[in-house]
This record gives sequence, C-alpha cells and structure tokens, in this order.
Amino acid sequence: MNPDERRTDILQGMLDLVILKTVSSEPLHGYGIAQRIRLITAERFRIPQGSLYPALHRLENKGLLRGEWMPTATGREAKFYRLTAKGRRQLDTEIAGWRDLAATMTLVLGST
Amino acid sequence: MGLIGRLFARRRLERELDAELRFHLEQHTRDLVASGVDPAEARRQARLALGGVEQVKEAARDVRGTRWLDDLAADTRYALRMLRKAPGFTAAAIVTLALGIGANTAVFSVADALFLRHLPVERPTELFHFRRSTPVGPDTRFSAPAFRRYQAVLPSGVQLAGMGTTVGMYLVVDQAPERVAAQLVSGNWFQTLGVRSVRGRVFGPDDDRIADGHPVAVLSHQLWTRRFGGSDSVVGRTIRLNGAAFTVIGVAEPGFSGVGVERRTEVWVPAAMQRAVKYYFNANMNDVDNDKSWVDQDGASWLTLLGRAEPALLVEAENRFATVLRREITEATAQADSAVRALRAQERLTLEPAARGFSDLRDDLGTPLRLVIIIVGLVLLVACANLAGLLLARNTARAHEIAVRMSLGAIGGRLLRQVLTESLVLAILGGAVSLAVATIGGTALLRAAADGGPNPLDLRLDWRLGSFVAGISLLTGIAFGLPPALRVARTDLYDAFRSSGRVVSGNRGHAALGRRLVIGQIGLSLAIVVVAGVLVRSVQSLLAVDPGYDRAEVLSARIDVRGAGYQPADLPALYNRLEATIASVPGVSATALSTMGLASGSSASSSVEVPGKPRAPDWDNDVQVNAVSIGFLDATGIRLLKGRTFALSDGPKAPKVAIVTRAMARRFFETEDAVGLRFGYDKDPVFEVIGIVEDLRPNRLQDEPPPMMFLPLAQTGENFDYIYNVMARVHRDPAQVGAAVKAALTAAEPGLPVREIVTLGTLLERGVRQEQMASRVSGIFGILAALLAAVGLYGILSYSVARRTNELGVRLALGAAPGRLRLLVIGDSMRLVGAGVGLGLVLVMASLGLLRGLVHGVSPRDPIAVGTAVALLVTVGLAAAALPAWRASRVDPVEALRRD
Repeated sequence: MNPDERRTDILQGMLDLVILKTVSSEPLHGYGIAQRIRLITAERFRIPQGSLYPALHRLENKGLLRGEWMPTATGREAKFYRLTAKGRRQLDTEIAGWRDLAATMTLVLGST
Repeated sequence: MGLIGRLFARRRLERELDAELRFHLEQHTRDLVASGVDPAEARRQARLALGGVEQVKEAARDVRGTRWLDDLAADTRYALRMLRKAPGFTAAAIVTLALGIGANTAVFSVADALFLRHLPVERPTELFHFRRSTPVGPDTRFSAPAFRRYQAVLPSGVQLAGMGTTVGMYLVVDQAPERVAAQLVSGNWFQTLGVRSVRGRVFGPDDDRIADGHPVAVLSHQLWTRRFGGSDSVVGRTIRLNGAAFTVIGVAEPGFSGVGVERRTEVWVPAAMQRAVKYYFNANMNDVDNDKSWVDQDGASWLTLLGRAEPALLVEAENRFATVLRREITEATAQADSAVRALRAQERLTLEPAARGFSDLRDDLGTPLRLVIIIVGLVLLVACANLAGLLLARNTARAHEIAVRMSLGAIGGRLLRQVLTESLVLAILGGAVSLAVATIGGTALLRAAADGGPNPLDLRLDWRLGSFVAGISLLTGIAFGLPPALRVARTDLYDAFRSSGRVVSGNRGHAALGRRLVIGQIGLSLAIVVVAGVLVRSVQSLLAVDPGYDRAEVLSARIDVRGAGYQPADLPALYNRLEATIASVPGVSATALSTMGLASGSSASSSVEVPGKPRAPDWDNDVQVNAVSIGFLDATGIRLLKGRTFALSDGPKAPKVAIVTRAMARRFFETEDAVGLRFGYDKDPVFEVIGIVEDLRPNRLQDEPPPMMFLPLAQTGENFDYIYNVMARVHRDPAQVGAAVKAALTAAEPGLPVREIVTLGTLLERGVRQEQMASRVSGIFGILAALLAAVGLYGILSYSVARRTNELGVRLALGAAPGRLRLLVIGDSMRLVGAGVGLGLVLVMASLGLLRGLVHGVSPRDPIAVGTAVALLVTVGLAAAALPAWRASRVDPVEALRRD
C-alpha cells in the first residue's frame, strides 16, 4: 500500500464519521447533508460533493445508514438517509475513539 | 441490500443514482439562483461543485461491489461484438476448440465410466474383492466350499458375498424366449451391497442353502419395466431361465444393474442354482464332476468374492482370510514334493477395492486409453498453440486500436482482462460445441474398442461431464489467451504509433513467439503421428502372424447349444446332424468339431506326465487340450509334420491316441520325433502320440504358441456338452457361404440359436481390438494435429510474407528472380518444420515407454513409422508454404515501396 492510499483511508474514515454525525439528529437527503456539513464546519472542511455520494452508498451497503425515498418540503421526491441502530452504535464507538485520540494527542503535545 | 440483491437490482440502482444526482444538481442550482446567480451560471457552478456526474456515478458503482460483474458483462458484449466482426476467424477458432476439447471430453467420458464412477450402492468405497496372486498370475475365482470357509472366520462388522460372472441366459416368459444377462449370487449378496427391492424382496441367506433347492429370481428394475411393464403382479410369476423354472420374488431398486461396469445384469438367481441354469463359465476346474452341483465341489473355482468392511477392519479381515488360504495350501500340498510346496507357498491373498465395480473393458482398454488420454491432451495443446498464434496475429493487426485506447487512459490490466475475456468466450463457445463432438466421439471410441457391438457403457451427459467441459474450456481459454493478452498489456505505444496506418506492424517479439508456437505444434504433431504409425505397423505385423491354421478359408458357426435346452443324450446326434447340414451347403468342402473353438477365446488345460521324466513343479506340466473330430486338422489347415491324423478306427474302445504340437513334443519329450511315445494325465501313460503338428496360436495372435495336444472326440465322449463352434472349410466367398450356412442351420434346427457365422480371421482380428483401437484413434488424432499445425504454419508464413512485403519489393526491384523469393519462403517453412521435427523426435524418444504392451513385432523406433511421419510433416510444411511463397513472388515492387 502506498502512502497516498493510506491518506485517502484516513480521510474516508473522517468523512464517514462526519456523515454519520450529520444524519444522527434527523434524516437528510444528499444535498442537505452537503449543506449541513458546510455550515457546521464553517467551510473549513472542503469536502468535494462528488465524494459524498459514493460514501453515502458505502455506508448504506454496510448497513450503517438506510436510504428511503420521501417527499421533501417542496413536494419533490428525494432519497433521505437515516442512521440505523447499527449506525448509531458505530457512531458512538467512533466518537469515543476520536475523543480518546484527541485527549492523548493533547497530553502528548502538552507534555513538553 | 446484500451483494446478491445489489447484483440483481442493477437497473433500479442505476435509476435511483441518476435521480439522486439530478435532485442534488437541481437543489443546488435553485439555491444559487435564489442567491442571485444567473440561472445558466448557476447550473454551471452546481455541476462544477459536484465534480462531473459520470465520475461520481462511476465511483458510486465501484462502491456497490458488483463492479467486476458489470465489467465482465461489458467485456463479454465487447468480445462477442469483436468475434461477430471476424466470422471467419471465429468459426475457425470454435471448430479447432470443439475438436480439441471434444476429443478430451470424449476420452474423459469413457475414462470416467470405466475408471472413476462408483457403483450406485450404499457407501461403495467400503466394498472389496478377493484377489489371489499366484506365480502364473492373479486369480479372483474361488470355490463355493472355500467361500464358506472364509465366511466362517469373518470379523464382526465385515460381510462377504459370492457371485458368478454375468452371462447370457435364455429367459422364457409366456413362450417368448429372449437372451438376458443373468448372474448367480450368494444369498447375502444384495445385503452386502446394500441394494433393496422396490417390489417383493431381494434374496436373503435362506435363499441359498441347498444345491438346486431355491428356484427364485430377482429382476432388475430395467428388465421389470421393459419386459413386465412395471406390473405389480410380477412377484410370484414363474419364468424359465435356460430351461429351469423360477419364481420371481422381487425387483431390485431402480438404477442398480449389478456390479459390472459394461455388462448390465438383468436377473439374479441364487448361486445354489448353478447346475439348474447350466452355468459352466469362467471357472478354474480341477477334478470336477459336472453332473453334480459345483456348490459342493472344492475343485471348481468360479465365485468372485465381494465383501464390505469399514476401512479400520480391513487389515484384520485380510489377515484372517490369508490364514485360511495358507492352511488350505498346506493341506493341499501335504503329499506334494518340495518344489510344488515352495511354488504354492508364494500365493498371496489380498483385498482389492471394488467401489468402481468390475470391468473386463477396464483391463483391456487400460493401456491404450492411457495412451489416448495423453494423445488427446497433446492435440489440445496443439490447438491451444494454434489459437494463441491466431490471436497473436489478430492482436498485432489491432495494435493500433489498442494503442489508441491505452493513450486514452485504458490501463494494461483492464485491457488484459478484456482480451482474455475474448479468448474465454471463444473457449466457452468451443466447449459448448464440443459436447456434441464428445457424445458422438465417445460412442465411436467405444465402438472402435468393442467389436462393433452395441455401446456397452453408459456415457450420459451428467454434472461430472459438464464440470469437466467447463473446467477444461476455462483452462484452455487461459492457456491460449494469456500469452497474447500479456503481449497486449505490454504494448509499446511508441512502437505501435510509429508503424501506425499499416495493417501489420513489425514487432519482433510477436513474430518470435509465433514461430515458437508453430515449432511446438509441429513437434507435438510429429510425436502423435509417429506413435500412430508405430501402432498401425504393429497391428499390421500382428495380423500377419501365422496362427498355424487357415483363417480366411475357415468359417466358425457359433451356436448356443446349452441355452437351447438340448439334453446331453441328444448331443452326439445333434452334432452329426449339424455337420451333415453344413457339409451339404454348396461351397463347403469340409466340417470339423472341437471342444475348444479356434480363436473363440476358450481354452482348457491339463497337466500331463511322461514316464521316466520328473514332473516340473505344478503349472509347468500344463498343456492345452482340445478334443476334435476326425477331419479337424484337414478342415482347419493345421499342418501335420510327422505321423498320421485321427481315423475312424480311433473309436471309444480302441487304444487312446493323441496328436501333439511341436512345442509340446519339445517340452515333454525333448525331441520333435515323438511319434510312438507315451504319456498320461498321471503315472499311467494311457495316450500314444500318433502325430506331430506345427505349432499354433489357438486364440490370440499376440501369444506365443503354447504346448498343445489334440484328442479324438470319439474317445472323450462325456465332453460333448461343451461344443459351441462348428467349423467349415469353404472354397468360395466366405461371407456368401456363411449366409447360406446360417439359412441351412436355421431351417434344419429352428430351436438352435446361431449367434454368428464368421471366419476365423474375423475372430482373430477381434483379439487385437485394443491395439487396433489405439492405432485408429491415434491415427485420427495424428492427422487432426498435423492439420492444425499446417494451419498454424500457414498463418505464420503469410504473416511473415506480409511483414516483409517491403523487403521483397526492394529485392524484386533490384532484379531478384521470383523463384528465389519462393525458395526463401519455402526455406523458412522448412526451417520451422526442421526445428519442429527435431523437437518431436525428442518427445517421441522420451515417451516410448507408453507404447509398452501395445506394440508387437515392430520396434517402437520403427524407421518406417518415423520416416513416414517426418515425410508427412515435411509435406505439410510444403503445402502450408505454397500459397505464401506464391504471394511472395507476386509482390508488386511499386505497390510495396509506395506503402512505406
């Protein structure tokens, strides 16, 4: 495995976590998720919109998200993604993992 | 949705993906417009932000995990399109593959039926049979009393049953006689095999206790449906087998037709009924009274012992059985001298696996089939090399297209997969067509092997054959597709474009690989053709062997006296009538009877003693014995060397006389002038030698002439029951006279079944059937391989001429004679053939061992066979070079130079 691919993996893992967190409060469609992420991260994370859909489908195939076609507020049909029970467990685990990592990093960086 | 679900919901997923992305773009555009952007600009920005709809779709498809399948489908469609565009190439490739794969499949179907398939019984791998190895070869026959002695020492959990050979018997149901395959079996035989009944019951131990006391029969499911219409009322019906009445007690389960591979049994009767059905087959006889049942005689060894044991119990069982055999031998040889004892002490008893059933054909065809398997494998290799060459040339022609696609971003691995898919599609198409080839070919193969009679084996298209074809097709596709595909993946863009615009690009690597493939094809074909030639020469030399009698002028009428129900007392009169009837047919000059028909496959031996000469240990005293009518020697053309033939005066009351062969005289009297000397079966020298005849091969041309003696029938009256062949010497067309003899016999004795009337020559030819099969089959494949090699050679030569058009044009322009250019191409062809022939000869020398046991009378390095094969391949080389050479000489210099 070359270093490029490893970096993609980390990015992908982060993107997954961000998506899971975004849809944890309410079901959202793809465009909605993109908008929400932009707002929350204050555009500090430039996530190419194109990589969003493959990630959504991958999470759906893993059973962490469930997609459902529903009418939007304007009455158009759109695919809404919601967190499954498995997805919620995954999210909790990953959040805990991140907190751990962050705490450890803080410790390391603050120790000198 | 799981992977499988995603696989099948492809269309819906595509639709949804499309709708999802469209929604995204519309939303984004609307938001942008709402924030004051111009609608057209908003659409542009939304697209940019998303980053290319098609790329996103592709990425989303990758995530599905079904990508490989989509690719495969696309590659297959592409491959089919490419193949449709080149119908000539496609047809040639499919025919080549169908023949190559079909040949292998045909051979596999035969090998599977003979060597691999298990009997359709419970846990077949637990079955074993007894085999006794003796100094004169293995024997599987045991006497009924010996069978009972082995049963007495069975370890618990081991079963042991006995059975005779499946033979033809005359079945009479409601007056209509027909020949069916019947077998004598012990009472526990069905239980041992684990075969049950579908109607009534199968035998139990109580059905086989008293000699002649159990007139009961079990039918095969097949006979039951064929002859009795599957009627329930069959149980309890009376049928007659070889004249004896039996009550049907049950029908065996469907699919079971005995333990013979090529001989399907249709009816079973208890072994105790041996005498009632007049079963006198395949027995080793030693002091036996045929008027009494064999069941109680230790001298008649006729039962094959079939048992069942879990593997863990086998060693224990084998030890116990071996102990019984050793005790028997000790008792039997207590009175004999030490040499006999030492010889018999070498006998060993082993238990052999019997899961695959019993087969004569397996033993007969084992050696030639092994050779044929290798040959068809080589043919397939030739076909692969041939196709690889064709594909290589095709891909070279497509080099430009491939280069364009690579420069547009197609990666090597992807292209490799695509090109490989093409060859796999070809292989699968060829494999499908090969099934037809295989079914016809397998049947033909067996027919070549089996006397031209009905196909004895069950060659069905089942999952085994199906998976074999699928497997070998895939392997073939990879074998011929991979080398050219690898070349494609390594296409050098610079090279390809430099020569772009030309149909054929000069790539040294392609040409070298192509030439190596052609050399390989020629080498393999040469090897096959040499083997075929050696076998053909061997069959010729076998058929030219002098059997010691006149094979072309003597007819043998094969009659079934026993099945027809004649009583022993009727027989002398019957044979007199038969001889008279045959003698009265125009064209017949003499008739003869013998207990052992010439070339019929039957023989009888007896040990003899010469007064004053010490006995050799055991079998070395054996001579073949044949009781014959007075005119036998004259009618068959056996040459009398000394003394006289039998005369009317050698009657029942006259002194006993014998005529012996030269081999017997030499062995037992140590002189060829033994007339007047005496010998006997024991110390009493009852026979006087009255004549010496030239050696003969009574049954098989392959065998050396054995020591033999002839006795007058009139002095051995009690053996009359055994004559199945009446011989007639003819002085006109044997086929015509044979038909007349048959008509006369049928008219005179309507109740006597005449199996066939053929010359002794025809019977002898059947004896070389395995050699003939091997020579015919390898001959056919040799020609096939040589043809494929010719096509491959033609391809490479045409390619080379096309590639050198330029150079040839320049040469012509500079004044080279067209004839010289023709020679150039022919020389090129001969260099390839020469290299191929060299390779082939090395292959032949390395594989001579395979011919052992199949070649008689010629050396496996037979110069005529090798010379013919080389000549054939050189001719192939010249023929393949003809058209390209002509083309080379017809190159138009102007045209050739303009092309650059």
